Amino acid sequence: MLSRRDFVKGGVALVSIGTSAQSLLKGSIAFAAQNGAYVADPNNKKILILVQCAGGNDGLNTLVPYADATYRSNRPTLGIPEADVLKLEQGFGLHPALTGLKGFWDSGKLAVVRGVGYPEQNYSHFKSMAIWQSGDPKMQLDNGWLGRTLEKLESQEHDPFLGFNIGSSTPDEMRTPAVSVPSVRSPADYGVKVGGKLADTSHARTATMLKLYDQYPSSSPYGVLLETTVETAISSSKMLQEVAKTYTPAVEYPDSSFGSGLSVLAEAIVGDLGMRVGHITLGGFDTHNNELDAHSGLMETLDAGLTAFYQDLQAHGKADDVLVITWSEFGRRVQQNANGGTDHGAGSVLFALGNGVTRGLYGDPSNLAALVDNGNVPYTTDFRRVYATIIDRWLGVPSEELLGARWDPLGFVA
Amino acid sequence: MQEPVTPRTPLMRRPTTRRALLAGAATVAAGGTAAAVVGLTTRTSADSSNGSSLVVPGLAADATKSAADELKKPIEDPKVRAAHLLRRAGWGGSAAQIAEFAALDRETAADRLLNFESVDNAALDAKIAAANFNLTTPGRGLDGKRPPLIRDMSRWWLYRMSYSQKPLEERMTFIWHGLLTTQQSQIGFQRSKQMITQNELFRAHALGQYDVLLKAVSKDPAMMTYLNTVDSTKEHPNENYARELMELYSMGEGNYTENDVRESARAFTGWRLTPPTKVQPPAGLSEKERDEYLDQLWGAYEPAFVLNTKLHDSGSKTFLGQTGNWGGDDIVDIIMKQPATARFITKRLFSEFAYRDPDPATIDRLVEVWNSSNHNVKAVVRAILTSDEFYSRRAYRALVRSPLEFMVGAVRGLEVETDWLTVEQSAAGMDQRLYEPPSVAGWPGGEVWLSSGTFFGRVNFLDATLFPKNKAVAIPSLSSQATAEATVDEALRRLVDDDIAPEARQSIYAYARTITNPQERAAAVAYLVLASPEYQLI
Repeated sequence: MLSRRDFVKGGVALVSIGTSAQSLLKGSIAFAAQNGAYVADPNNKKILILVQCAGGNDGLNTLVPYADATYRSNRPTLGIPEADVLKLEQGFGLHPALTGLKGFWDSGKLAVVRGVGYPEQNYSHFKSMAIWQSGDPKMQLDNGWLGRTLEKLESQEHDPFLGFNIGSSTPDEMRTPAVSVPSVRSPADYGVKVGGKLADTSHARTATMLKLYDQYPSSSPYGVLLETTVETAISSSKMLQEVAKTYTPAVEYPDSSFGSGLSVLAEAIVGDLGMRVGHITLGGFDTHNNELDAHSGLMETLDAGLTAFYQDLQAHGKADDVLVITWSEFGRRVQQNANGGTDHGAGSVLFALGNGVTRGLYGDPSNLAALVDNGNVPYTTDFRRVYATIIDRWLGVPSEELLGARWDPLGFVA
Repeated sequence: MQEPVTPRTPLMRRPTTRRALLAGAATVAAGGTAAAVVGLTTRTSADSSNGSSLVVPGLAADATKSAADELKKPIEDPKVRAAHLLRRAGWGGSAAQIAEFAALDRETAADRLLNFESVDNAALDAKIAAANFNLTTPGRGLDGKRPPLIRDMSRWWLYRMSYSQKPLEERMTFIWHGLLTTQQSQIGFQRSKQMITQNELFRAHALGQYDVLLKAVSKDPAMMTYLNTVDSTKEHPNENYARELMELYSMGEGNYTENDVRESARAFTGWRLTPPTKVQPPAGLSEKERDEYLDQLWGAYEPAFVLNTKLHDSGSKTFLGQTGNWGGDDIVDIIMKQPATARFITKRLFSEFAYRDPDPATIDRLVEVWNSSNHNVKAVVRAILTSDEFYSRRAYRALVRSPLEFMVGAVRGLEVETDWLTVEQSAAGMDQRLYEPPSVAGWPGGEVWLSSGTFFGRVNFLDATLFPKNKAVAIPSLSSQATAEATVDEALRRLVDDDIAPEARQSIYAYARTITNPQERAAAVAYLVLASPEYQLI
C-alpha cells in the first residue's frame, strides 16, 4: 500500500516540471478528497486543545483512590491524606491543588478517564510517547494521529492555523507532510525582524530572503518542507499580529509559560483563525525524587492555567466550541521509591474539560490489588477509545480509518 | 455522516496547488507510471534521509535501481568534498582549510582531522585565557561584576567550536553531550560547573574506547546527580540511570527486559559523591557577604566518586542472562558485549556524520570495525569519514543544520571574530542551548529543527547579530570585495559551496546592488546567504 510519504515523493517530482513554488503553496485540496471517502463538514467549528503532561504523570496522586489500602501502604509519605483530597465520587478525589478543576466537576464540565493505557506497556518515555502520538502501539500507521486527522479536516480554503502548536517544533502527534503546523513560543518574536523590530515582509531585505525560498527547487533536499514551513510561518505571523490588535484576555493568566501559551491559544480561538486542533505541553512530570512538592507545583500550574483559559473563552463566548484533553505517556509505580518519588509506571488518568463534556468518571478503576509488571497499575481503558471519542464525536471525522480499527467511544462527549 | 457541503472539483480540473499535485502524483503512482515521475528528480525514492520514503511500491524496479545508483554517485568537486568533510567532522572550514583539504585523498583528509593529539591549539588557548571566563562560581560576586556562570560556560565552548584547530575533538565532545546527556537545569544551578567537568571528560574520551567512556560517565558527578544514581540505595534502587544507560546510551529500546532494568539498577546502588565542604560562614557577615561566601564554596567544590558499601547491594543479580554479584562496571562490561550495542552506537555515529537511516549493509561494515577494534570510536569514525557513503550524493545536504552548526558555521566560514557575548539572548529563538538538551534523549535533530517558530528564530538571530543596534558588523572577508556581485559570490563560496539556484543568486545580486557602503553590503549579503534554504542544510 502506498504511504502518504510516497505521495509526497511523487508530488515533489511533479513540482519540478515547472510550476512555480508560489502557486503551489496556496494550499487548498484535502488529501482525503482524492480517495473520495470523506470531506470535512465546513460548519463544524469544534476545537480540540491537547495538553501533553510530559514525563509520566502520577495518576494515583492526580485522581486519588483515597480509601484504597494498597495506595496507603505503598505511599507512606507520598500518599495524599484523605482529608486533603477534593472528593468526587466512588472513593476518588482530586489532588488538593486542583481546585479549579473541582469547580468544573461541580458544574458538570469535567470528566476523568481512569486506567488509561495500552497493552504491553512500554516504560521508556520516548517509546511510550511515540505510541501515544502515533495512536498505534504497533507503530504501523503513518504520521501522528492528529496529523492524520488534520488531513481530513483540511478544506478547500486552507487555514494556516488549522493545527496550532505552542512551542518551538511540531509535536509528533500533529506531524504530517500534508499540513504544516505553525509553532509559536513567543508572539513578540513570531515574525521577521528588521533592526530588532517586527517589520512588514515588504521590507526589501525580507522580501529578497523570502524570494530565495520561492526559488529553491522543490525537488532539492527538503524542498517541500522548507517551502511549506516558511509559507506557513509568514502567513500565520501576519494573521496572529492582526488578531493581537483586537484580542484582550478577559482574565489574568498565571505567570507561567504554560499560562502565557494558553493565552496565545485563546487569542487564536477568539480571533477565529480557523483552528481545529491546538497543542501545548507542560513538562516536568518525571518525578523520580521529591515528588510531593514537584507534583503539587505541576498540578497547580495545570489547574490555574486551564481555569484561566476556560474563563477567558467563556467570557468571549467561545467555551462551547472547545474541548480540552490532557494526556501523559504513562503513570507511575504504586510504591514510592527511596527519594520520595516514583519510577515509571503503566496506566494513568486523563482529563476532559469543556461545556460539551458529560461529567463523570470513565473507564474502570485499576485494581491496585492486582498489579502488573512488579508493581504497576494495570490499564483498563485503551487510549484509542479516548481518541475515537474525540475524533468521531467532537471533531466529526470517522475515526476507524484514522486509528486503523474501530474503537468504542467513551461517554464523556455525547 | 453528513453529506459534503462543498462541491468537489474533479481531480484533473483542480487548481494547481501543492496539495493537488501531491494528490495527483499519488494517482499517477498508483497507475504504475510513477517511474517517470520519480525519474525527474535528482533525489529519489532511495533517499530516506531528506524526508521521503524508502520504497515506492509499484515503481518499476529498474527505475528504483537507477535512482538508487544516482544517489550512490560520489560528490565530484574536490572543494565541495572538502567543505562537506569540514562541515560534518568539524564545524565548517575557512577558505584556506577547504583549499588545503581539497588537495588530499580521503584517508589523508580524515587522518588530518582524527590525529589531533599533537596539533597546536595555542591561539585558541590564548583567546580563552584573555577572555577570563567564569567557569566555576555561581552568583555575581560582592561587586556584582562576576560574569554570569552559564553564559560564560556557553561562550567558552563556542570559542572552542569556533576557533579550535582540532575541530573533530569539539565535534566528538558535542556528539557525546547530545548522546550521554545531562541537563544543566536539572542538576541545580550551584552545581553548574560540573557540566564543565563532564565536558572535559567527553573531550578526554573524544575518540577512545567506548567502554571506558561509558564507565567514566557512569561515575561523572553531573550524570550521577542528573539520573539519580546519588539517591539510589540497596533498599530502594532508583532505576533512572540503569534504564537510560541501556535505552539511550548503549543498546536501544527493545533489547532488554524490565527485569534487566531492575537488576542492573541494584548494581549502581550505593554509588555516591563526596559531599561539599560544610563550612559555617563566619559570624557577622551581611546577607550579601554570606551568599558570596557560599557561592565561593560551590565554586571550589570538586566532588569525587565513592562507593558506599552500606548502601550498595552486593547480592547476586541476573542481568541479560548472566548471574553474578555484579557492580556497575560489570553491568557496562555485559552491555558492551551485546550485539545491540555495536549496532546502536555505530548507527548513531554514522547518522551524526553522514545521513540518517543508513542501509543495514553499511552498519554491518561498521559493526565489524567496532568489534575488531575492541569498540574503538576513532576506528569507527575513520571508517565513516573514509566511506563511499559519506562522500555520496545521498549524504550531501542530507541533514538539517542545527542552530549550533548554523552559528558556528557562519563564524568559521566567514572568518569573523566574535566574543559571543549576546549569543544567549539572540539565539534563544532557534531552540538549542548548550548544556541544556530538551530531554534525556538529547536533541532529536532532523526535521524538528525546521518549524515556523525556529525559522523566525534563525532569521532574527541574523538580524540581531549582523545588525546590532541597526548597525552592520564588520565582515572583512566580504567587505573587501570590490563589487556587489563579487561580495555575493564570495559569500556563496564560503557558506554554500557556491551551489545555489541561479535565480536565487540573481536575487541576492539585485539586493546587494542597492547598497553602496561595503560594510553594510557585506552584512546584508551574509544575512541573505545565511538565511537561504541551502544554508539551512548541512
